[in-house]
Amino acid sequence: MTAALFFLGGCSSKNPLPLNNNTSSVKLDVPFVAPRSELCASSSIAMVSSYWQVKAQVLPRLTLEELDSRTLIPQKGGTLQIELMAAARANGFLVYQLEPNIDALVAELSVGHPVIVLVNRSFSWAPLWHYAPVTGYDAQMQTVLSHFADEANEAVPLATFEAIWERSQKWGVVLLPPGKIPATATPRKFLSCVYELEKSGMLQEALLSYKAASTRWPENVEILFALGNAYYGLHQLNKAEEMYRKILFLDAVNPLALNNLADISLHKGKLEEAESLLNQAKTDDVAIEAILNATRQEIEKARVSPIKYISF
Amino acid sequence: MNFSKLILSFVLSATLFAQVSLAQIASTEALLGNSAPSSSKDKLFQMTSREDVAKKFEEMGVDPKIIEARIASMSDAEATEIAHKIDTLPAGADAGMSIIGAIVFIFIVLLVTDLLGVTKVFNFTKSIVN
Repeated sequence: MTAALFFLGGCSSKNPLPLNNNTSSVKLDVPFVAPRSELCASSSIAMVSSYWQVKAQVLPRLTLEELDSRTLIPQKGGTLQIELMAAARANGFLVYQLEPNIDALVAELSVGHPVIVLVNRSFSWAPLWHYAPVTGYDAQMQTVLSHFADEANEAVPLATFEAIWERSQKWGVVLLPPGKIPATATPRKFLSCVYELEKSGMLQEALLSYKAASTRWPENVEILFALGNAYYGLHQLNKAEEMYRKILFLDAVNPLALNNLADISLHKGKLEEAESLLNQAKTDDVAIEAILNATRQEIEKARVSPIKYISF
Repeated sequence: MNFSKLILSFVLSATLFAQVSLAQIASTEALLGNSAPSSSKDKLFQMTSREDVAKKFEEMGVDPKIIEARIASMSDAEATEIAHKIDTLPAGADAGMSIIGAIVFIFIVLLVTDLLGVTKVFNFTKSIVN
């Protein structure tokens, strides 16, 4: 009896897929790319990218050949997780790593976001790492659908999926077009992901995502600040100023917003205003204090020898 | 030594100088806490990581023409992680089990059966049962 229970415990998942709502089964229409030796990362990016190309009319920036050459390390015979994410970003997508649990996976699939997972098809002592896009699930059958190998939307029993997924610490990412937010996103983590996109040179794409974030979390000071900086980076100083002012409305002594407002005033030649803004800033943080001091010095320099500032 | 490496060093040193000389607004980096390295030693360290990655990629057969673009799309933290752990990081691939993997697997299965006294395939094994 105990043995039977133990056996059952091994075969069924501890955390069954949700049956009780109207999304008890999901099957996303993700185009299928047949497996090509060693190139599952590239194929997975391509499949999810073409899904979004149809759904949201985003044009992928790279061809399949370019994705291949950006992801494969010939001697390792595969692709590192970091490079999968970097290549997906280079393809014009925001990459968000999910919390390592089945609930996050289900939540993303339920709102139409395919998830690329890393699994180990074998044992931990003889690993066979593999990437595949998860395209849906069926709570009735307790299966997970994915473009795993030769067959589109192959149904893998949940227990098997969890076993092979567990070995990668349940690694999974969503690739989203700029302006879309993951169902399970937290503001801080989402902000970091958008910032990665911005740093890789995709300023317009990042701006779209920051804007979407400021709609979803309107009172989040950090997002307003990043959005302001994105506008600043695109030389839209009035918009940038508007965002920094919004921050002061929520947090009147916010040092970063005050510093950047002072910087804008300085660029406009309003030195008194710049100084009075800086004097309102309050911080205990040494790094931020250093930033404020640098701006203070800039103001002094401008006082001594007025420079013609570049007008934006 | 290598043309792509030369370009890479040039680009990196250019960004290094740019970061030093420009008085900037408080960046989003300052907010997120993973702020740009303060000392030039840290900066040099990160440049070295990127060069290490370039070297390892070349050794591992990556097309030299694309190495620069691949490294440029990584963050500093990512480049450092790859430089340090490239040999142990998992690399997802398509293939099912490889021939070598299968041979190792069969070897271990036979070893275990030898040890259990079910088989006597290898000369060096002694059954632990009886």
